[in-house]
Amino acid sequence: MLFSSISFLYYFLPLITALYFIAPGKWKNAVLLLGSLVFYAWGEPKYVVVMAAVIAQGYVFGRLTEKYRETGAGKIFCMVSVVISLSFLVYFKYANFFLENLNALAGDAVPLLRIALPVGISFYIFQIISYTVDVYRGEAAQKNAVDLAAYIAMFPQLIAGPIVRYSDIAGQLRGRGHSWEEAAEGIRRFVIGLAKKILLANQFGELCAVFRAAEQKSVLFYWLYALAFSLHIYFDFSGYSDMAIGLGRIFGFRFPENFNYPYISSSITEFWRRWHISLGSWFRDYVYIPLGGNRVGRGRHLRNILVVWMLTGFWHGAAWNFILWGLLFAVLLILEKLWLLGALEKGRIWPHIYTLFFVLVSFVLFNAEDLGQAYADIGGLFGVGGVPAVSAEALYYLRSFGAALLFGVIGATPVPRNVTRRIFGETACREVWNIAEPVMLAVLLLISTAYLVDGSFNPFLYFRF
Amino acid sequence: MAGKRGFAVCMVFILLLYGGFLLCLFKPKPGYSDSERRRLAVMPEFSADSVWSGRFMSDFEEYAVDAFPFRDRFRTAKALAAGGVFLKKDNNGVYVADGFISALEYPLDTASLKRAAERFRYICGKYLNDGNRVFLSVIPDKNCFLAAGSGRLFMDYAALESRMAGEADFAEYIGISDLLERDDYYRTDTHWRQERIADVANRLAQSMGAELSQDYRIHTLERDFYGVYYGQAALPLAPDTLQYMTGEDMDNCSVYDWQNGKEIPVYDMERAQGRDPYEMFLSGPVSLITIDNPEAPAGKRLVLFRDSFGSSLAPLLISGYSRITLVDIRYIHPDSLGRFIDFEGCDVLFLYSTLVLNHSDTMK
Repeated sequence: MLFSSISFLYYFLPLITALYFIAPGKWKNAVLLLGSLVFYAWGEPKYVVVMAAVIAQGYVFGRLTEKYRETGAGKIFCMVSVVISLSFLVYFKYANFFLENLNALAGDAVPLLRIALPVGISFYIFQIISYTVDVYRGEAAQKNAVDLAAYIAMFPQLIAGPIVRYSDIAGQLRGRGHSWEEAAEGIRRFVIGLAKKILLANQFGELCAVFRAAEQKSVLFYWLYALAFSLHIYFDFSGYSDMAIGLGRIFGFRFPENFNYPYISSSITEFWRRWHISLGSWFRDYVYIPLGGNRVGRGRHLRNILVVWMLTGFWHGAAWNFILWGLLFAVLLILEKLWLLGALEKGRIWPHIYTLFFVLVSFVLFNAEDLGQAYADIGGLFGVGGVPAVSAEALYYLRSFGAALLFGVIGATPVPRNVTRRIFGETACREVWNIAEPVMLAVLLLISTAYLVDGSFNPFLYFRF
Repeated sequence: MAGKRGFAVCMVFILLLYGGFLLCLFKPKPGYSDSERRRLAVMPEFSADSVWSGRFMSDFEEYAVDAFPFRDRFRTAKALAAGGVFLKKDNNGVYVADGFISALEYPLDTASLKRAAERFRYICGKYLNDGNRVFLSVIPDKNCFLAAGSGRLFMDYAALESRMAGEADFAEYIGISDLLERDDYYRTDTHWRQERIADVANRLAQSMGAELSQDYRIHTLERDFYGVYYGQAALPLAPDTLQYMTGEDMDNCSVYDWQNGKEIPVYDMERAQGRDPYEMFLSGPVSLITIDNPEAPAGKRLVLFRDSFGSSLAPLLISGYSRITLVDIRYIHPDSLGRFIDFEGCDVLFLYSTLVLNHSDTMK
């Protein structure tokens, strides 16, 4: 089920919130779990079994890991759980990639598996791994299977994150408070996320689709596409994260932040501190640091960076363009660590241009169907292959999507937030804001509903990961 | 967040969500959308099989959108936001310029033109001989007169005509673009207005050696005409007025609908009161129709291969021909035509709008 759907907004959400708040405290996690299973089954009825199996092994091995933590067996139980979890991921997400490449190398024709990717598997597998590893590192294992299942399957963050680590919400699973204030904060965050997704991300997605279908490409059109996709993926994913964090808040949870205005970064290093924060910190804590991080020799340090970023790329998709996308960032991060960071810190404008340039180009690589298309698209940005500079189509769509692009560019910076705070932070305006904010949120919700009812473009990019 | 404001935010959200929920459950659902001219999705059947296969859920998503309360008003709100806030030049491919609604028709699909010409060539090869004269005419769609001036994408219509004439080198081309202008089309519909195309009918007839009566009476339909683009645009625009022309030959001719096996009127007043009043012209989408005119010179026969634009034009040609056969090869395969049509000595006119030529995969 999509957050940005009529069925979620006007059927599922009223029902689940009513049941949740009516239920007595000790039943609330069970209600959340039940609702989450319905939410997941709505799109993937068969794959609820897969998720249940992942959770069950996590529960059993988590308990065993805790029990035998002081002996060598604890480590073995933890590793078995990690291997089982990764096996699910490899089978459903990467098996066909490996088979295709083996076939290409060996000239064989081993038939590919006829399986669909279970939605959200990359996210919940990482959560269960974080749980068992955290238990091995000293966190108390969850005794209550319902609470553990509620943590893994919790619908706000189940299918596109943020990747919530068990240690972050273990206490909240045991007990949490609810208040109008918290709920209102959650609602505000949810509605803004919904509007980011429906009113902005979908329009940029539409522009990308138009570009892809266009016959008359031009350099301008390629750059328009690069900008549109960069804004699409940002508003799509950060909008989803906002909705997830907001829903969590309504149910009394505090999920970690996932985005912090990444496009204002002045280096790639800074960009990755602001983009998909929960994934970056997961790889840091569960891969980079266990490999030795930066507390090793220069050679091993660089190897660690390459490994982590190759895996980061591979996590996003089972295709070579994702691996190259990760490695591109690895190279840029290494260059910055070795030589560039000092100069970037001294610059004012050019570091932003440098960062945005590579981010835009990287997302063109990211969104390509295959390496051939990646080559053509990146070449198109620079006029390779005799692509004309401007085309009538590019100019038309620039005019047609110009306002949305402008809103997107401004909205990707802290400017709207700062302006709002400045205006309504004044005592005299605070009373106005008390009325204006609920009205503004209602209008955003209704306009977003109108876009949904009109049935326009509405996929979620991160559902494929 | 200030206490009062937080409470107000919660109350507004609860009101909208639960209000929407209750309306979704209890407000009666329309089965048909007049504005979009389509049946709306109905509540899917709930069964273990439909749930396990995921069919129930996907069908429910469609139903939830189609059955949403005040759906048309929400669509209007979206169209207004798209144009007024985001300054989109078109909304779902539909735009409004100078009070006319049109759909973007772009780019020119040369393969489609070639395919259409091949279909025409196939018909000629199968049924015609040296005794037949073959003509081709292309009807420009409304974009030809609206798009360029309003900054929308547009096809090169001159190139389209010239390419089509070149592809169909077995036919004599009759150009009619110079006789048409924006106001010859309905503001809310795809089609041209019959009361404004008498000159087009004359040009076609004269080019084919026929002479038409110019004695027409103009009638106005006593209901508003909301064309097909009206629903797609979802904007609060004024409706069109639909007019039709009658004459002595039209009064005395007989029209036979081969598809449904019955006599039909030139102007179907039942359909004029239906969901698409434009279907009043020769009863709308019918694959094969013959019009016999006892007043016309005997043996003057025309086979008109046409799309829906031809429905409103054909009545104006009646006075020039003893028999006009209208064929819509979107609904009947050309191989079947020999059973119904005697092509011997007939004139043949392929009269198609650019909208169909540019999407000729609809032709059989």
